[in-house]
Amino acid sequence: MSTIDLPLPGARTGTELIPAVDEGVTQTGKDFTSDQEVRWCPGCGDYAVLKAVQGFLPDLGLRRENIVFVSGIGCSSRFPYYLDTYGMHSIHGRAPSIATGIATAREDLSVWVVTGDGDALSIGGNHLIHALRRNVNMTILLFNNRIYGLTKGQYSPTSEVGKVTKSTPVGSLDHPFNPVSLALGAEASFVARTIDSDRKHLTAVLSAAAAHRGTSFVEIYQNCPIFNDGAFDAIKGMGDHKGEKDYAIIPLNHGEPITFGVRDEAGPLNGLGDKALVRSASGNIEVVDTADISTEAILVHDAHDPDPSTAFAISRLTAADYLNRSPIGIFRQVERPTYDDQARAQVSDAAAKVSGSAEDRLTALINAGDTWTID
Amino acid sequence: MTYVIAEPCIDLKDRACVDECPVDCIYEGKRMLYIHPDECVDCGACEPVCPVEAIFYEDDLSDETQAYIAINADFFAHVGSPGGAANANVSDHDHPFVAEHPHRSSREVRV
Amino acid sequence: MTIEKQVKQLDRVIIRFAGDSGDGMQLTGDRFTQESAVFGNDLVTLPSFPAEIRAPQGTIPGVSSFQIHFADHDIRTAGDRPDVLVAMNPAALKANLGDLPKGAAIIVDSADFTKRNLDKAGYDANPLDQLGEVNDPLGDFQVHAVDLTGITVEAVKEFGLSRKDASRAKNMFALGLLSWMYGRPTEPTVKFLEKKFSKVPDILGANLAAFKAGWNFGETTETFVVQYEIKPAKMKSGTYRNITGNLALSYGLVAAGVRSGLPVFLGSYPITPATDILHELSKHKSFGVTTLQAEDEIAGVGAAIGASFAGSLGVTTTSGPGIALKGEAIGLAVMTELPLLVINVQRGGPSTGLPTKTEQSDLLQAMYGRNGEAPVPIVAPQSPGDCFGAAVEAARIAVTYRTPVMLLSDGYLANGSEPWQIPSIDELPVIDPNFATTPNHVSKKSADGEPDEFWPYLRDEQTYARPWAIPGTAGLEHRIGGLEKGEGHGNISYDSVNHDRMVRIRAEKIKRIANSLPPLEIDDPSGEAKVLVIGWGSTYGPIGAACRRVRRAGYNVAQVHLRHLNPFPNDLGAILKKYDKVLVPEMNLGQLSKMLRAEYLVDAIGYNHVYGLPLKAAELAEAVGALVGEAEGKDVDLGEHGLNMLSAPDGAS
Repeated sequence: MSTIDLPLPGARTGTELIPAVDEGVTQTGKDFTSDQEVRWCPGCGDYAVLKAVQGFLPDLGLRRENIVFVSGIGCSSRFPYYLDTYGMHSIHGRAPSIATGIATAREDLSVWVVTGDGDALSIGGNHLIHALRRNVNMTILLFNNRIYGLTKGQYSPTSEVGKVTKSTPVGSLDHPFNPVSLALGAEASFVARTIDSDRKHLTAVLSAAAAHRGTSFVEIYQNCPIFNDGAFDAIKGMGDHKGEKDYAIIPLNHGEPITFGVRDEAGPLNGLGDKALVRSASGNIEVVDTADISTEAILVHDAHDPDPSTAFAISRLTAADYLNRSPIGIFRQVERPTYDDQARAQVSDAAAKVSGSAEDRLTALINAGDTWTID
Repeated sequence: MTYVIAEPCIDLKDRACVDECPVDCIYEGKRMLYIHPDECVDCGACEPVCPVEAIFYEDDLSDETQAYIAINADFFAHVGSPGGAANANVSDHDHPFVAEHPHRSSREVRV
Repeated sequence: MTIEKQVKQLDRVIIRFAGDSGDGMQLTGDRFTQESAVFGNDLVTLPSFPAEIRAPQGTIPGVSSFQIHFADHDIRTAGDRPDVLVAMNPAALKANLGDLPKGAAIIVDSADFTKRNLDKAGYDANPLDQLGEVNDPLGDFQVHAVDLTGITVEAVKEFGLSRKDASRAKNMFALGLLSWMYGRPTEPTVKFLEKKFSKVPDILGANLAAFKAGWNFGETTETFVVQYEIKPAKMKSGTYRNITGNLALSYGLVAAGVRSGLPVFLGSYPITPATDILHELSKHKSFGVTTLQAEDEIAGVGAAIGASFAGSLGVTTTSGPGIALKGEAIGLAVMTELPLLVINVQRGGPSTGLPTKTEQSDLLQAMYGRNGEAPVPIVAPQSPGDCFGAAVEAARIAVTYRTPVMLLSDGYLANGSEPWQIPSIDELPVIDPNFATTPNHVSKKSADGEPDEFWPYLRDEQTYARPWAIPGTAGLEHRIGGLEKGEGHGNISYDSVNHDRMVRIRAEKIKRIANSLPPLEIDDPSGEAKVLVIGWGSTYGPIGAACRRVRRAGYNVAQVHLRHLNPFPNDLGAILKKYDKVLVPEMNLGQLSKMLRAEYLVDAIGYNHVYGLPLKAAELAEAVGALVGEAEGKDVDLGEHGLNMLSAPDGAS
């Protein structure tokens, strides 16, 4: 077997080939709101994400008809029905494969996948990792509520060990996936995490994800108020966890030292948080008191590092059981040729090398080889 | 669209809704709670927990209570969009309409 | 010295090349086929190979074979029993001996009949040592033991190859010998070798030398004194080529793209015996064909559905086990009413079954293998060349009616070949995607009473097809999915009355496809047959051959072959009622017969074999004959046209 050097389409943004709205036209969230009644449970985090997406899509400046939302099955997968774009509510776990077909067939479409922790990581785990590996130009929004909602409360692939649910009355035995670690392991070119209730952060991450050419993977912590209420209270500083937020969230900003905790702008730490990430002697990432180290020792976040090892190490700081600590932001954003660009390039290169009508070429094709004529 | 807090909240401020709101968009004025129309995500979590049924979906307001759409929205004219009530202090004022509303004794609360 | 050679006329011959998987028997058979095709014989081929890529050398499981039946007249099958067996080793001899009729010729490579190889094949003694003796196990046959390996190695000496590499050319020696024996043209093979080995002159030289040596050996040796002549067949005028089913099917898909103006998008996962289609289509990017080798079967169909939604002609290719995995996604395409071609190259089942053997046992899977009432049209080609037209027909139905269509090929059609009259592209149906571009429904908000909104499930009154609006079409934004649709507007509906109605509408849409089908062709030359033999798919050849045998023996029988299994053609019911007896030969345990019984309350009688091989014409003829006897109340004896023939005197198949 041999390999061949592939044509490399120039690095472009995620939306470059998609028609923009006419100049002077302003779209609003209302333009993206369908006439269908939203039917999630009261208090569901999905409302917040929907609102943020409806608020954010006009800012993309793309024509509504060139946006496609694809989902699988689960609570979050109702998402496409509520957006007045093209959309498909498909089957359980398969949205990434359907989106791969759409994105490969058409360069002029902005393709979004809405999925959940069960849909993407359990039944559809295979499609997720292969979409990330291929780097098809699309954005995958994984709503992680750490529970199965639509089937009424079984543990999910992100639920903590020991979780008592309807299907695990004496505790779940499954070790959970960390979706960001998984995506980084699959060599995703864009990996981020955000929170349903933080619209500003969510919107910023969505913007960056849409701008990225390739598969953008965004994990959204999303509270299920019915079957797993409070799963992210520490992260949000809510409920019994008021005041814990500063120490629960580790914000990641490209090019900035990674610190968290209490930030005293006027104090000796000069606005840095009182906790910081450093690389330990063994090469791991660990949390230390900022006051105990020199500022230079603090790990500076480099989302563009071609090597995903550091991003992976940072992702491991997420607590696996009750979620009282987690890095938030863009873990990784690197340029890599996309499957769909290259697939289209192979087709168009081949087409450029031939001449004549398709009918004539087809006639030549089926008449090629050893033929004989009977009069 | 948004949820709206209306007259029954005045002088009550039970705050059950504040605990329920997943996006922390219910802000506290001097005499009443207000829902931030731009921050509300229409999830409806607040509505059933209000002990005095003061919360309505925008479309469900009666002709008499329509005014509360503007009352909720206008309250934020000088607050802006803090992105969560936890980021804002309890305000020491109210919308003028609420401020001028006759005081009720703690009595009239319908339970 | 010149040896006096005789030339004998034959009307048809069946040759089987058999050897170890690594002996190049498929290539040898393929070349002999091309030579015969170019010569102008009618022919049908039947390759057979093990599921293992390289089963242990010299063993019976490792035997690979290629059978070709060629004739001076129109033939239908690859033949029941070979007249000539070329066996490259003891295992190949042992594995195929049982299929030979008395008097058949056997050519063996004596060099391979070593103690070790004989042991591996399970021979206690070398059968070649017993030739002519009282207990000669090969006494019923004319055996030619030739040192194919030794002569080949000698012939290619000048190219300085190792003995092992040199001996690999022995298949070309055998091909040369058989080419001489049957007067085949050699140029196609010479050209083929020159192209294949253009970059390796030593190997090219060795293969050419072996090929020529084989021819010369035939001409000079005393072992072979008879040369045979099989005149070209009289065929309809036109240009022909030899083609396998998988290649014809691939070309048909390209043609469907050209005739519809839609880019073809294939999402597929490799699986025997369908993989060739993925290989072939990946060569035709210049036609706008995109091929995605997906991570699994489900992703293959998923990507095809996505591409269809985006305005491509979505195709997925697989075999039975893959269909099982794709079931839910095919149901999604039924519900979303998107065009989709699902190609099942059937193999022996259940489960992994017999990957390299043929069977027709996925018909009921195609009909019913999904949850819910999920009707899918089914099209089945009847011969390798017919795979081309069947693919175009499947695409016509899929695009016109906005539905997934199941195309049921099988392992025999896929790898078997026949001369194919190359069609003119202009004569193929034009397939109109008829994309929706404007609103189709008047909303309450419409000011002027003109349509101002798009309803994705508002149907064409004739076909019941829904509009296909692709992303990028402004004003037609809509959402589809697997949940039940409200009639017309297509929004989610859990209403029970609506569901009942939608289930019936989807069924009716598929039923209406029958209105677009041509009348069935009834092959009943005398018009007096009381027995109808009806089949579908690749059994067309054996059924036709069996019917001919019965007729030649002096009896009447009618044949109808179904290309459309769902819906059935409108005239099928009336045709079935015209005959006293209906026989349904199938390579399964009675799937079409079950469907015919259910649909038409007809006493369809099954003739069912699941040997992983095509039906044998002579055996089937006996069954047809018996039924004719029953129907006509007389004794039927097919004589030489049935099973008791030693070798058919005329074009018996």
